[in-house]
Amino acid sequence: MIKIENISKEFKEGITGRRVRALNNLSLEIQRGEVFGFLGPNGAGKSTTIKILMDIIYSDTGSAQISGKDVRSPEARKSVGYLPENPYFYDYLTAEELLWFGGKTAGMNSKEIRDRSDFLIEKVELQNARKRPLRTYSKGMLQRAGLAFALIHQPEVVILDEPMSGLDPIGRKMVGDLLIDLKAQGKTVFFSSHILNDIERFSDRAGIVIGGRLRLVDSLKNLLSGHNTLEDVFMQQVALAERGTGA
Amino acid sequence: MKTLWPIALVTFKEGIRNRAIYGITLFAFLLFGATALVVNMVPREAGKVAVDMALSTISFTGLLLVLFVGINLMAKDLDKRTIYTILSRPISRSQYIFGKFLGMVLLITITVGILSLLAMVAIVLLKMTHAEYFERFSWSLIALAVFLTMLMLILLTAVSFLFASFTSTSFITLALTIITYIIGQSISGVKTLIESPPQALGFTVSPVTANLVKAAYYLFPNLSLFNIKLQAAHDLPVTTSYVAWTVLYGVVYICLAITLAALIFRKKEFP
Repeated sequence: MIKIENISKEFKEGITGRRVRALNNLSLEIQRGEVFGFLGPNGAGKSTTIKILMDIIYSDTGSAQISGKDVRSPEARKSVGYLPENPYFYDYLTAEELLWFGGKTAGMNSKEIRDRSDFLIEKVELQNARKRPLRTYSKGMLQRAGLAFALIHQPEVVILDEPMSGLDPIGRKMVGDLLIDLKAQGKTVFFSSHILNDIERFSDRAGIVIGGRLRLVDSLKNLLSGHNTLEDVFMQQVALAERGTGA
Repeated sequence: MKTLWPIALVTFKEGIRNRAIYGITLFAFLLFGATALVVNMVPREAGKVAVDMALSTISFTGLLLVLFVGINLMAKDLDKRTIYTILSRPISRSQYIFGKFLGMVLLITITVGILSLLAMVAIVLLKMTHAEYFERFSWSLIALAVFLTMLMLILLTAVSFLFASFTSTSFITLALTIITYIIGQSISGVKTLIESPPQALGFTVSPVTANLVKAAYYLFPNLSLFNIKLQAAHDLPVTTSYVAWTVLYGVVYICLAITLAALIFRKKEFP
């Protein structure tokens, strides 16, 4: 469903234009119906990978596909719902208008949008705020509006960049329940996090990325075999990365 | 068009609900009010002054709209990363630019339309109180002046989109757009001046300056072409060919600027 082949990415940094490698030959395949957790410390390359998948930035080498379509084509995003890290929307639009925009750009008709909006607004518990401008929303409410926006067109693939970041326990539970729901519906979910517990609770498979390299990919079952905790596995990989071995 | 319309409508709604719009409208009200005061100072020139001031108000408040609402609408998408959400939909970068531009055209058209209605009310009221000084007066010429002003504002918006496509901050886009406006309004006069014979000028223009002015003349939009306020105020004739060529010039410049903006935007990354 999602296929990433040997992508590398460098950024220019500062006024000197020093090149910093954000991703190094990263390859990854995520199957249909799988919930994949993308784990890594801050600055490991998680968001860079996701932005390449969403065609927000371009890889220097390699390629990526979603549902068999190259991510460089807008067609690839027809089946994708995306929630960026710390989403920001139009200040003066309401949640209803945001969902209308999401539905229209995905080719839905007005009735489909209305029905789906009602369902999602209830799901993310924004009934009382649906007609309020988004600039009056709290961070948690914006995150929930963003989730509804990502899911308005019933996408097959859902890509979430740090979906729990900055949320209170109620918000975290709501996002967690939504991930479980998506899995039950057979959707393919690719979400990034640096919170081990989130990866452990919701993923079928996880990948650990450190310093732009994918160090380890396996099922949660295999990763946690032999009385290992995900923290043990993660710290081992961090130590290996610091010594320059492994991967 | 199916994809452009949602982007255009969202842009329009975000623009029309912006608080700056209220400030700009209030400012326009004050200027229209000031027209009455000025007209009372020079009652014999009432017709000319009323038309000139009304058209200047439309043009100036429209300019404020482009500079402080239009540029902000585009820049905020980039600064606040709203663009992540928009580009996550199945739309291309070019469609984003064209849709956004269409939204701004809608915003300019409706705002200029409202300003024109206010201007009309101001002129009608003054015409009623100073009827004898409104002899040389033509509504059609006023409408034409408003239309060309609107075209100039749309052109300036297209140029601001072009700047936004390659600059990194909204401040630079704003600065470049203001510079373009100033050069665009004066370049034609400067070119005429430097092409005058040295005897008439009283000094010799260096070839470097002359070439620089010529380059600026061809590079920057000649915005003074769209200014027929003087003709409208004095009811002077404006030929059909002048209007046709000016409209053609504006449309071609807009198409070029917005297409170039879309081409540059296709390569842009948003890390």
